[in-house]
Amino acid sequence: MKGISEYKNFEVNSANLKHIRTFAREVFNKSDELKNYQEELVLALAEAAQNIVKHAYNGKPSSDTIKVEINYSEDGLLLIELFDKGQAAIPENIKPRNLDDIKAGGLGTFFIGQIMDQVIFKTSKIDWVNHLILKKQF
Amino acid sequence: MTYKVLEENNISTVFLNGEIDMDVTDKAKEVILPLIEAGKEVHINLKDVEYMDSSGISVLIESHQMGQEKNTRVVLKEISKSVLKVIMMAKLEQILTIE
Repeated sequence: MKGISEYKNFEVNSANLKHIRTFAREVFNKSDELKNYQEELVLALAEAAQNIVKHAYNGKPSSDTIKVEINYSEDGLLLIELFDKGQAAIPENIKPRNLDDIKAGGLGTFFIGQIMDQVIFKTSKIDWVNHLILKKQF
Repeated sequence: MTYKVLEENNISTVFLNGEIDMDVTDKAKEVILPLIEAGKEVHINLKDVEYMDSSGISVLIESHQMGQEKNTRVVLKEISKSVLKVIMMAKLEQILTIE
């Protein structure tokens, strides 16, 4: 099935990461193509959501919401978008870690890059501060 | 995430269960790191871990590094398929001790 367009808002809280994953699994399960990549796609989306909680909100809960939007078009383009109102991200500072450097941290961004085709940061969307777009063509 | 710890022949085996993300990494560290700090050989059994993200991987890296500092073995046991996939994506299968 293609032509999926769904979104959901989640309060900023690390305890909500599991609910974000549940939402993502439910949406990805609606398409056979996405279902085959479900684990990887859920990981990419969850890493992005985790980065919002960790960096845009310094790991602290907030009554703000993270909007997660998933669109899968007829032509096989998957767009995962995350919107938040936390501290503005500085795209130049968001770098995956060098895998030769064995340390905790920076892995999430590396995973996202491995799984998705393209990662786009926007910081000027009306009503939101950060707008992250993860793209993958199937 | 839930866990249980079994002590046998001076080896502490930590059985982790469920999903390991940023929300539970502190809890996982609180269980694992003091055992390593105490100089015990620690086995981390991951057969019932259904999901692990970069935060969970960080716990494994930290445990491994503390094991090296304390000169004690930290071994990953019975890694579930989904966790192994993430470990391999991070290219850590040659670095962490896996049995």
